[in-house]
Amino acid sequence: MVLNELGRGITSALASMANAMVIDEAALDECLKEICKALLQSDVNVKLVAAMRSNVKKRVNVEELAAGLNKRKIIEKAVFDEICAMLDGGGDGDEKKAAAKDGASGSYGVRKGKPHVVMFVGLQGSGKTTTCTKYAYWHKKKGWKPALVCADTFRAGAFDQLKQNATKAQIPFYGSYEETDPAVIAQQGVELFRREGRDLIIVDTSGRHKQEAALFEEMRQVAEAVKPDLAVFVMDGSIGQAAFDQAKAFKESVEVGAVIVTKLDGHAKGGGALSAVAATKSPVIFYGTGRGHQEVFMLLEAYKHYAKYATQALKAANIP
Amino acid sequence: FMSKLALRVAGSSALSREDLQPALDDMQRKLMERNVAEEIAAQVCDSVAKSLVGKALSSFTGVRAFVLRAFEDSLSGILNKRAVDVLHDVQRQRAKGRPYVVVFCGVNGVGKSTNLAKIAYWLGQHGLKVQLAACDTFRAGAVEQLKTHAMRLGVPLYERGYEKDPAKVAAEAIRVAERDGRDVVLVDTAGRMQDNEPLMRALSSLIHVNAPNLVLFVGEALVGNDAVDQLVKFNRALHDLAPTGATRAHMIDGIVLTKFDTIDDKVGAALSMVYASGAPVMFVGCGQTYVDLKKLNVRSVVRALLQ
Ligand SMILES: Nc1nc2c(ncn2[C@@H]2O[C@H](COP(=O)(O)OP(=O)(O)OP(=O)(O)O)[C@@H](O)[C@H]2O)c(=O)[nH]1
Ligand SMILES: Nc1nc2c(ncn2[C@@H]2O[C@H](COP(=O)(O)OP(=O)(O)OP(=O)(O)O)[C@@H](O)[C@H]2O)c(=O)[nH]1
Ligand SMILES: [Mg+2]
Ligand SMILES: [Mg+2]
Repeated sequence: MVLNELGRGITSALASMANAMVIDEAALDECLKEICKALLQSDVNVKLVAAMRSNVKKRVNVEELAAGLNKRKIIEKAVFDEICAMLDGGGDGDEKKAAAKDGASGSYGVRKGKPHVVMFVGLQGSGKTTTCTKYAYWHKKKGWKPALVCADTFRAGAFDQLKQNATKAQIPFYGSYEETDPAVIAQQGVELFRREGRDLIIVDTSGRHKQEAALFEEMRQVAEAVKPDLAVFVMDGSIGQAAFDQAKAFKESVEVGAVIVTKLDGHAKGGGALSAVAATKSPVIFYGTGRGHQEVFMLLEAYKHYAKYATQALKAANIP
Repeated sequence: FMSKLALRVAGSSALSREDLQPALDDMQRKLMERNVAEEIAAQVCDSVAKSLVGKALSSFTGVRAFVLRAFEDSLSGILNKRAVDVLHDVQRQRAKGRPYVVVFCGVNGVGKSTNLAKIAYWLGQHGLKVQLAACDTFRAGAVEQLKTHAMRLGVPLYERGYEKDPAKVAAEAIRVAERDGRDVVLVDTAGRMQDNEPLMRALSSLIHVNAPNLVLFVGEALVGNDAVDQLVKFNRALHDLAPTGATRAHMIDGIVLTKFDTIDDKVGAALSMVYASGAPVMFVGCGQTYVDLKKLNVRSVVRALLQ
């Protein structure tokens, strides 16, 4: 599924280099060209791909490599390091360590024992409302006491959608047909569920995009009203080159701490979402593979996943 | 004398693929940066190259300017597809005393229902009597969403709630519309992934059974390389999965390109979708209110792609 195809493309590019008789500048260029093509076909941001290519070229100066060294291995290592760095999103050490710790403890952004408010944000139609219930349901199975708050007062039928989902998954919900200020509803809902002792209060918000400043302002107001412990950026797995800029704008407006990539049951290769990871410097904590709340809500922790993917690819390419 | 000179210079500078390659590479990268699918960008570059190799360069233009012109022509040619004239066809159908039926389809969350409502508003502005049909009987809140739009727009909605056979709901809606003398029926359907065979089969059968006048594919401008796969597979499903005995498969007639307001200059999905399907972009969704519906401005898209 996600990244598999990309992994195969990269592996085959490296393999073709392994078949080359002499490894010179031309062979390296050819190999990099194939790798870039695989990345671009997966929707990875064009600028990130270009940077990866030039970094590899900077690191490996084929002509100058001493004769005794194994050029192939050096090139392959450089390629993998640069791809991993790109997918890592260049987050600083602390962010990475925190994410890795969350991953290791299986808590994915929230830790039991303390009540949490988690706010879902993202572009229109990315899957926030659907994923909210999935997220709540997943945690409910793990012994949490989740609740859902509908702070989308804009989209027609938004409250009905959340209500019907929540009812099916048997999760308490809060919302209003009359109140038009999402910040007010969010605050009321969070207060109510706090009093009721719910320990995972999930706030669904309207879809928005960076070009409309008023919508971003509204998001800040909701965040201000509920002071979320975690803001989750929900991203459609099929998104293309616009992913990076949009994700970056969300990150700059609220403190995005995690990413969920949806609709990976389709054909999308997920590279646009990887670019979003790079932009938000936040790990992917889950990905969505279907429309119902009970469907296997596959768990993915970005760093572990990338590491695993990289090792698999390395193995396939015969590198220790 | 001048023309002789120009001729000589031109004659001596027939372009080779090597002359063109750097400019072509730049173009391909630019197209991909603007969100044209990799495969489509490569194909477009290749066909432009083929049309230019061997051509003589006029002495006053450089290779790059020459290539740019060729791209402008090529991209405009691809995007300028003849679309049906909906308002005209609605009138023709009206003369027959039958409603004009439009089916909206596409993958999940792209904006089918919202843009259906915008088109209902647009038709209303032209004095036509519209009816909506709630044939997304799957997604939570889908019926209420349409109900809200119908109420705001003051148009009737035919709905049978959830978990009903959408093809049947559509058929009933069309019957009711015909009885009530409505001019147009807009049929909303559930989002589905192009690889989901049972759902694609159901769509194909809904379209076969109800024989709409127009099948619109709704795709969002945000989509990347998957745009190509979506269009190709929706068309293929409509063709291959039509019930046996179907006389003629009804393929995608036009594209509704949504969320055009969210992508700045990354307008490439328009090109990918049209190139992959041969269908024209008939409507462009550029916001979340009823008036945010436009026609595709080919010139400005081409400009954004090549700038
Ligand atoms: N196939 C598939 N569909 C999904 C997935 N996640 C969400 N969807 C569908 O995508 C569509 C949009 O999902 P929503 O949850 O309404 O998206 P949203 O972000 O809340 O949308 P807005 O509130 O309008 O911004 C719905 O049809 C969902 O059923 C997924 O993982 N796979
Ligand atoms: N910015 C922007 N948002 C849009 C546009 N068109 C639709 N949307 C938003 O996209 C989201 C999804 O729209 P829907 O109409 O529910 O999408 P759909 O394809 O019917 O979704 P499903 O039925 O769940 O598959 C909503 O939040 C809409 O307001 C547009 O042109 N621009
Ligand atoms: Mg929603
Ligand atoms: Mg819909």
